[in-house]
Amino acid sequence: MPESLPIVEMVGISIAFPGVKALDEVGLRLYPGEVHALMGENGAGKSTLIKALTGVYKIDEGEIRIAGEPRRLGGTADAQSAGISTVYQEVNLCANLTIGENVMLGHEVRGPAGINWRATNKAAAKTLAKLGLGHLNPKQSLAALPLALQQLVAISRSMVLQCKVLILDEPTSSLDANEVEQLFAVVRNLRDQGVAILFVSHFLDQVYAISDRLTVLRNGRFEGEYRTEELDRAQLIAKMIGRDLATLKSLDAKESRRVRGDEAPLYAAKGIGRKGAIDPVDVELHRGEVVGLAGLLGSGRTELARLIYGADRPDTGDVAVDGEKAEITTPAKALAKHIAFSSENRRDEGIVRDLSVRENLVLAVQARRGWARPLTRREQDAVVAKYMDALGVRPADPERPVRLLSGGNQQKVLLGRWLATEPDLLILDEPTRGIDVGAKAEIQEYVADLADEGLAVLFISSEIEEVVRQSDRIIVLKDHRKIAELEGGPGVSADSIVTVIAEDGLGDPNADAAVREEATT
Amino acid sequence: MSAKQRIVQVLGAATAGALALGLTACGGGDGGDDDGLTTVGFVAVGPEGAWREANETNIQETFTEDAGYELKYAPATNLDQKSQIDAFTSFVDEGVDVILLSATEATGWEDSLKRAQEAEIPVILLDRGIEPDDTDLYVTRIAPDNIAVSTAVADWAVSAFPDGANYFVLEGPAGVSVVNERNEGFDAVAGGQANLVKVGAQTANWSTEEAKSVVETVLKSNDNDVQFIFAQNDEMGLGAVQAVQEAGLTPGTDVKIATIDGTKNALESLAAGELSFVAEYNPLFGETALEVVEQVLNGDDVESSIVVPSATFDSPEAAEAALPDRKF
Amino acid sequence: MSAHAHGPAEALKALVRRQYFWGIVAIALLLLVNLVKDPGYLAVSIGSSGNLVGNVIDILRAAAPVILIAVGMCLVVATGGIDLSVGSVMVVAGAVSMEFLSGAPDTPGSGLAALGLVVVVSAALGAVNGVLVSVVGLQPFISTLVIMLAGRGLAKVITGGQNTAATNETFRWIANGYVLGLPVVFLLALLLAVAMGLLVRRSALGLMLEAIGMDPKAARLAGVNRRALLFTVYILGGVLAGFAGVFATASVMTVDVSRTGYQLELDAILAVVIGGTSLAGGKFNITGAVVGAILIATLDKTVVFLGVSSSATPAFKAVVIVVLCLLQSERVRRAFRQRRAAAARTPEREALAA
Repeated sequence: MPESLPIVEMVGISIAFPGVKALDEVGLRLYPGEVHALMGENGAGKSTLIKALTGVYKIDEGEIRIAGEPRRLGGTADAQSAGISTVYQEVNLCANLTIGENVMLGHEVRGPAGINWRATNKAAAKTLAKLGLGHLNPKQSLAALPLALQQLVAISRSMVLQCKVLILDEPTSSLDANEVEQLFAVVRNLRDQGVAILFVSHFLDQVYAISDRLTVLRNGRFEGEYRTEELDRAQLIAKMIGRDLATLKSLDAKESRRVRGDEAPLYAAKGIGRKGAIDPVDVELHRGEVVGLAGLLGSGRTELARLIYGADRPDTGDVAVDGEKAEITTPAKALAKHIAFSSENRRDEGIVRDLSVRENLVLAVQARRGWARPLTRREQDAVVAKYMDALGVRPADPERPVRLLSGGNQQKVLLGRWLATEPDLLILDEPTRGIDVGAKAEIQEYVADLADEGLAVLFISSEIEEVVRQSDRIIVLKDHRKIAELEGGPGVSADSIVTVIAEDGLGDPNADAAVREEATT
Repeated sequence: MSAKQRIVQVLGAATAGALALGLTACGGGDGGDDDGLTTVGFVAVGPEGAWREANETNIQETFTEDAGYELKYAPATNLDQKSQIDAFTSFVDEGVDVILLSATEATGWEDSLKRAQEAEIPVILLDRGIEPDDTDLYVTRIAPDNIAVSTAVADWAVSAFPDGANYFVLEGPAGVSVVNERNEGFDAVAGGQANLVKVGAQTANWSTEEAKSVVETVLKSNDNDVQFIFAQNDEMGLGAVQAVQEAGLTPGTDVKIATIDGTKNALESLAAGELSFVAEYNPLFGETALEVVEQVLNGDDVESSIVVPSATFDSPEAAEAALPDRKF
Repeated sequence: MSAHAHGPAEALKALVRRQYFWGIVAIALLLLVNLVKDPGYLAVSIGSSGNLVGNVIDILRAAAPVILIAVGMCLVVATGGIDLSVGSVMVVAGAVSMEFLSGAPDTPGSGLAALGLVVVVSAALGAVNGVLVSVVGLQPFISTLVIMLAGRGLAKVITGGQNTAATNETFRWIANGYVLGLPVVFLLALLLAVAMGLLVRRSALGLMLEAIGMDPKAARLAGVNRRALLFTVYILGGVLAGFAGVFATASVMTVDVSRTGYQLELDAILAVVIGGTSLAGGKFNITGAVVGAILIATLDKTVVFLGVSSSATPAFKAVVIVVLCLLQSERVRRAFRQRRAAAARTPEREALAA
């Protein structure tokens, strides 16, 4: 690739927040017609650097040059006018507007009598079609779309802005393999048109599949800039986390399965179901056992978890906890039965962003006790100390608003909140999504430890290999129903689950291919 | 009566009230019926105080079915002009025979009145006037003369304070025609007296509670050097009495208070020597209104302004004499 | 919170950072303006019966009802709601108590019974709000608007549309009496405000309210019982408004069906905002709401003391409030700081221009 002039050049960027130096003399160069991956653990400063480039944060030191000209970016509008456009980690659109309105927001086609909605929707449809989303109706409400498609709408929105630099911050974390491929096709297309693309992702395979060059950050410092083809995965991970891969591999090697005794199940549901969410299924969960839910995106994994927790009210089925009949119709009732649930939607249904780490940690325990019986400061301190330490929450400041923590640390706080309720059954929906390799390994290890200590764990992940690695037993879902239940062990692998899904209902080659691709990520 | 019985009674009233509210909400909207009655739309002020209550009850009791009328009573919602304009418009659309209007605010009526004129519906103003006062837009205004009533207060003040006095005025809400007229009449006389010194004027929104709070502060800001308070309605005057008492002064002796309206409460207070002068603003002009409506419907000419006669009370004895017959 | 551990300088700094600091500054400025008009403005003397007498005391007394409704509003706003019905609950409370007392003997017993009635009736109205918001799921704005309109109508029905007066020394004492030289109303309002403050901060109620105000979905999944909390909060708001209604009517022992509590919901919302609680819900500050309420009372009294004419009064108040809100705005403050910094860099030019 020709070494042309960089379109964006960030030199010696430093940003300090009260008490923390978030970025320390970091540099970044983006070339037109290149996909550039920004790598680093959560908390390494990737998001901060992106926010500096998009004008959200003011830089304390350093310079941003765009097309060779030094620019001061006073806000997102400045950045947009400089041709820099961003699709953020979590979908950031207006759910109550239509798809077309979201795509064209601020760039509606105007006629003599204000906005020409026909033309606007037409333009939106055209943009969507370019992304292979031609089947979406621009007049449909965005809220009706699954999260994955909302993400693609967000990306099409940034295409409307005719950008020279497109920043994709974790664009693939909520997409399935097909959708990722669709996205990559568009990214390559944009790259060939000379757009500089900054790509942030935790999926190493994706980084290697799409990027031409990468920059590694660690602890707010610049670690180096490399041609992707010149750096292998092991080297890259070593640079990101500052240690070798042996610790990560150890988890892969753990093949031994916990042996379940013959005691009665902790949780047993007969025919639990909800119309439109999941067909009636039987679920049994035992103490000291990790049960995985495997299936494609939209197969009913999350829906089943929500029914077990009472986040949604089941229409049918009988539930027994420890052999006693139980009515679990609200989260509060589930918590009273020592069942805890960590939602896949960390931002909206997990942490309470403006509360402190301490308050987030004690929230569920306090809610179960009721407001009239507050935890004393000493009890709170005990909970906070125990779980911040056990889970390694960083920074170790319980009074910091949780929104200032990185995604991985927020997830740890959330896990701490549920563990503080001393659950017998812990339901984890995508606990490792959108967090960095280091934190992911820590959480996986911790989950295994919990089961060893006698907890029942229900584990959900879109990475089938992760499910296989973690689970003693796997419930396979497809199209809102249970199609199989597999005992874990050497005989079960991602491939065998894929086969089960593919062979169910026979002959849907697309689904088969999609699952295989997802399994390999 | 024991406290317990009373609680039951009041709770009962509250519940009945809640029910009644629900019922009125459902019962509205039966259209005009053709049974030979003359339909009169009354755009009224609604609950505002004892005076208004007496006035509007008197109108309602005059325009009865026995007298050949169907009266549609439309009180304003919380003294809001918009609700009045809405009621007025719907009367015009319905095609009532006559509209009686007591406007909560003086301005902003031109469009509505023109609509009525186009629909050839005569409008008669009751009590409250409009601004600008375009007599082409309505048939006549029936009201006691605010200027005459407030002039009477000023005349009394001149005679009651031969050696002069510092005085304060408690006004109604700014912008209401009554307030402007009562100021005009009072100032015409009192303004010419060099020894009557106005220390200030402030609205208390016709409210006892607000008047008490205002007078409390006025007395402090003037080191209690106020001898006379002119309250533009009875309620505010009664609030002023309480503020004067709280300040350790004697109403009627240290501070004389004059009010306009002449409600029963005010006359009782005058009889007790707390108020010193009450000028009646006669609310009972149902009879006058009935006559005028008949003349208008017969096509007779009427004067553009018809004054309802009012009395004044300047002593406890006069008040006591009038109390037994007080209707409001 | 732990400012006392660091000494007075830090405590002052912590105070300056609070949003309601500017409310306190505004109160001080208004008092100063009054002081310029009359140097004896702040003087507090001992009255004939041993009570404290003075303009400041009047302000405290006038602030009492607003303090109560502002505290109630503060809690409702924390949950992300709003309570437009407080003014109407006040007039219903006034109507119920006056109607009751006008037929009851003038004894302390009936005074207390009237108070009890008010608590029952205002709690019931608060409960209606609570049911509409938490069970029926109506928007708080709409639910409380319904009660706002219906409440005033209910008061008219209770009193037969009349402004009703009554005599009861005990009841009157609530609004006009003194304890330890200070007005009973203010002490009661302060007591209730402090009690509410302790209730929300010593129990976990405050945390729960903030959680549902900030993020209702996450709070629900954490097992927070949103329905019961909302119900509780609207009842608390109703009862506090009921007491405010008692304060307002007991002052003159008359309920004025169209004026008592009229538009006071707006004052309460204003006080809450001045106190640094965002209308979007979440973090709330009861002390701030009390400061806001006192500021509003000070403003009302100042207008009369200065003799601002009736027609200019709304504009005068609006200017004060707008300036205050500008000062509180982070953006405006930053702009000021930058200007100051710029001015410091170029003193010569400033001097020349002058």
